[in-house]
Amino acid sequence: MSEVNRLVRNDALLEKFVDLPDLLARVENDRELLTELFGMFQEEFPGLHDALHDAIGVGNLPEGARAAHVLKGMLANMSMKQAATMAAGIESAACVGDGLGIPEALAAFDSEMAALSAAVDAYIAGK
Amino acid sequence: MRILIADDEPLSLRMLERTLQRAGYEVTAVRNGRSAVEELCRPEGPRLALLDWMMPELDGPAVCREVRSQRGQRYVHLVLLTSKNSKQDVVIGLESGADDYLIKPFDPEELKARLHSGRRILQLEDNLLEAREEMRYKATHDALTSLLNRGTIVELLARELTRTRRENGCTIAVLGDLDHFKLVNDTHGHLVGDEVLREVARRLLGSVRSYDFVGRYGGEEFLLVLNNCDASKSIDRAEEIRNAVCRSPITTTQGSLSITVSVGVIASRDRDLETVEEFLCEVDRALYSAKTAGRNCSRLANVGV
Repeated sequence: MSEVNRLVRNDALLEKFVDLPDLLARVENDRELLTELFGMFQEEFPGLHDALHDAIGVGNLPEGARAAHVLKGMLANMSMKQAATMAAGIESAACVGDGLGIPEALAAFDSEMAALSAAVDAYIAGK
Repeated sequence: MRILIADDEPLSLRMLERTLQRAGYEVTAVRNGRSAVEELCRPEGPRLALLDWMMPELDGPAVCREVRSQRGQRYVHLVLLTSKNSKQDVVIGLESGADDYLIKPFDPEELKARLHSGRRILQLEDNLLEAREEMRYKATHDALTSLLNRGTIVELLARELTRTRRENGCTIAVLGDLDHFKLVNDTHGHLVGDEVLREVARRLLGSVRSYDFVGRYGGEEFLLVLNNCDASKSIDRAEEIRNAVCRSPITTTQGSLSITVSVGVIASRDRDLETVEEFLCEVDRALYSAKTAGRNCSRLANVGV
């Protein structure tokens, strides 16, 4: 398989979750950096995700809003736009004290992130 | 150019670091606001900074306020980089002392363009400081000899007299006048006269300690202010200075010229004078006394009169 075909196939793994052209523009087409960032993402995300769950679990909405804000920033930075929008929804709900709406939003977010994380793993493995 | 980036989110930090390194910046990366303040407030710290809003210990606006409150620092161009993007946030950020504001996720081209604009402002500030320093130097120094000018040396004498009076110390003032200097100008021309004045200035500077002051008091008159001295050694110091000037002929474009100087000297401890003008008047009398004694000698102002 040619290098171009391999890149195209690997990029396709992410296209459902990541706006790759946008992300590549931000890293100035540095694919080595891109892989490094995905690796960092896989290391950082679980801790932040747990912090969000812990805060929501004990009803600490201000802390939940803060954790969602951090996640939103990181996801937006990685051009994971759908996931970033979902994190922003959780942040907004937590900010206004909408405790009832959060579990449903959090479940959808968890599902999105599980699929996204698997795609990122596959991308890294494909490198 | 050096730049500081402060962000507690490692992906954002790494992305910024790489983008800026590619653009030729020397990057210092920190993970919290307190470290950012420490780096930016070091005398040789970076003068460009990209600060995340939400950080542990100190947030971005607090970093801006702390950096701006430090006095005597060179200007630091501060850019807040955050996903907070309401108008109210922008106003809070700028009022905290930030110069610019960028919304996350950043666009590399916009980021570089904004930093370039920051560098232009810093360059402008450097030019202004340089011009101010040049003006300050010109206002306090003699253009021909580069010694302190009359206004400055008299001001320093007044300051030293006040200090030594307060600390019960002793300041010595030495007033020297080149002998027959008019003859040098008349015989060899003013350009040669200028060469002589420059060389005398060099010899005077070489005859004092680094913390003493030497100024051009008038055409061919020089005033030296010597701090923390032993009053009983005043005349000895005056003689050392006189000898430093006339020890060897001065080489000029018109040949070697033997130059001598008459010197008056006064020690603050010997006199209970109220003002710097009185002090100068007394040392001037001593100089006149050296002139009438045949020149090329030193005279101490009358003690206890």
